[in-house]
Amino acid sequence: MSNSRSYGRIQSAPENFISDELIAEINADGLNDARRNFLRRSFAAAAGIAASGLAAENAIAAADHPGLDGDPAILNLPKHSTSLGNPVAHTPYGMPSRHESNLQRRESPGLTKKRESGVAFTPLQGLFGIITPSGLHFERHHAGWHDIDPAIHRLMINGLVANAKVYTVGDLMRLPSVSRMHFIECGANTAMDWGGPAVPSVQYTHGMLSCSEFTGVPLSLLLEDCGIDKSKAKFVLAEGADGASLTRTIPIERALDDVLVAWGMNGEMLRPENGYPLRLVVPGAQGVSWVKWLRRIEVGDTPYATREESTQYIDLMPDGSVRQYSLIQECKSVITTPSGGQLLMDKGFYNITGLAWSGRGKITRVDVSVDGGRNWKTARLESPVLSKCLTRFNIDWQWDGKPAILQSRAIDETGYVQPRMQELRAVRGTRSVFHNNAIQSWRVESSGEVFNVQIS
Amino acid sequence: MYKYLNVLICFCLVSVLPSLVSAEGFTNVGRKASLAEIAAWDIDVRADFKGLPKGAGSVSQGQKIWEAKCASCHGVFGESPEVFTPLVGGTTAADVERGRAAGLNAATENARTTIMKLTTVSTLWDYIHRAMPFDAPKSLSVNEVYASTAYLLHLADLVPADFTLSNDTIASVQQRLPNRLGANTAHGMLDVKGTPDVNSKACEKNCVIDEKSLVVLPAAINGRNGNMADQNRRYGSVRGVDTSRYK
Repeated sequence: MSNSRSYGRIQSAPENFISDELIAEINADGLNDARRNFLRRSFAAAAGIAASGLAAENAIAAADHPGLDGDPAILNLPKHSTSLGNPVAHTPYGMPSRHESNLQRRESPGLTKKRESGVAFTPLQGLFGIITPSGLHFERHHAGWHDIDPAIHRLMINGLVANAKVYTVGDLMRLPSVSRMHFIECGANTAMDWGGPAVPSVQYTHGMLSCSEFTGVPLSLLLEDCGIDKSKAKFVLAEGADGASLTRTIPIERALDDVLVAWGMNGEMLRPENGYPLRLVVPGAQGVSWVKWLRRIEVGDTPYATREESTQYIDLMPDGSVRQYSLIQECKSVITTPSGGQLLMDKGFYNITGLAWSGRGKITRVDVSVDGGRNWKTARLESPVLSKCLTRFNIDWQWDGKPAILQSRAIDETGYVQPRMQELRAVRGTRSVFHNNAIQSWRVESSGEVFNVQIS
Repeated sequence: MYKYLNVLICFCLVSVLPSLVSAEGFTNVGRKASLAEIAAWDIDVRADFKGLPKGAGSVSQGQKIWEAKCASCHGVFGESPEVFTPLVGGTTAADVERGRAAGLNAATENARTTIMKLTTVSTLWDYIHRAMPFDAPKSLSVNEVYASTAYLLHLADLVPADFTLSNDTIASVQQRLPNRLGANTAHGMLDVKGTPDVNSKACEKNCVIDEKSLVVLPAAINGRNGNMADQNRRYGSVRGVDTSRYK
């Protein structure tokens, strides 16, 4: 990081004129008038700093402009403007800038003891728009991931079909494909906050959420190709090729609706962590139903009572019953900036931005409150607004420097309103684990520091 | 929820698919699966025991397998919370009688073990067969799966020490599961058109909130997820807070 920091210091204004010490001080204790004034003085003195301390070419450049008043990032032509850059195909498969290394998938300590059955969260706090970069798509495995050779991968369809068949990946790619954008959210997303605020940032509260364009063949076409027994088929079982051979039951009406057997993700093949070379896409359903490394579909007449639908990914209701086979991820939203663990550097204008989604269809409205839910304003929805897909919302905000509690509340096309935490708890209790779609609250302190909070 | 199933199937297959599938079908795409191939992969065991292979294993045989291959994660008695959530514990003879695990009630604070939640014994057999041991899945023979399942059921006080679990005796175990009547499958989370269980209203102005109810992320756990300064860009509209001070 130190290399990129010193490189950045001579390029852009104003933050790169701030000393590391002042950044640390602001991070530690927040922004006050003294530090604001110091920031202004630092900015004014920046030309001098650049001339006195940094790379020789910049010192020379500054000397070429004696007495000029201005930003050294402008006055001192940087190396990238005065030298030849890298050739094409220098990095045949492109990578993000080295300055972007802070945004990574990360684990939350203590969540699982075995990393092969762990979770790595998507850094929602730094992403734009609605598409998750494939390398930042969240990870959740049950028996680790392998980079499977697509030449030896097979999809079998058996059960209540006239012809049980085997398809290679190449076979499937010959079929009429479709590409659709959908969110995928783990049923355990926001699980840690059921009992109260438990993690600092949106990466850990909501980062088991990603959204991609998936390309594949409708499962309905494959079932028809195998001669599905229309009179008896009521469910399908989807099974993975991983060590866990993870299985989930899907009702036949969903299987014949918008479910895809997908190989493509954001224009390339699926990443190994996300099911390469085949995964099921079950729009609107919790992520565990989107079986990765898909090897088999069985058509049957009863649900299959697999582990991941009868004892896991379930809701333990206050009456002691085990609510099983939950499929739908209900309407939910979250503000991604400003969000927990972030620091507002000064009062004034901010664009509050976030994501909304519903497993039951399109988002029709997102409201934002900056006073803890007392008053709400409707945010702008960015297009496209697609069914069972992330929707980006934005709203203007003038921060007066006083404590504020930011919330977002989404409404979907069924009219369902994202609930408050206490409304969810009144029905599901406080000891639930899965399917927490409550309104998220972020408290902005006068220091500019943002905290994960709950308020009823 | 599935009462309109046939109507839906007819609609999908008759009205939609023919317009997508060419009249000749997908010729030369895919091939017939052989019986041996289906047998190799079709390993699922349903709640009605369809798919359960013939075989048997005793509690005492299971104990040897358990202590060699299972106990390091799950504990000698299946009780360990160290690596995974505990498998057994929290159930009573009264639960076995009633078919509902009272420990799942929200009023209690005990850990919720697998045996407390389990509504179908097939699930246990199926998962051990397909996914266990964690680091060597599918390495147990069918009889070893019966035996290790038998031992786990014995640890849960559901079968006696001289019990042999087999494709013939497994149905009797189903009738002793402490939570066999605890399944809830009639709800609105099954389907896109299902009815939600929580109904909120979008209040817009002067909504009632209780400021005293504010709960802030405790400082004691704020630093656990690493330094937020290193998890946000060092430029842009905001920065990451230096949360290293919370450690």
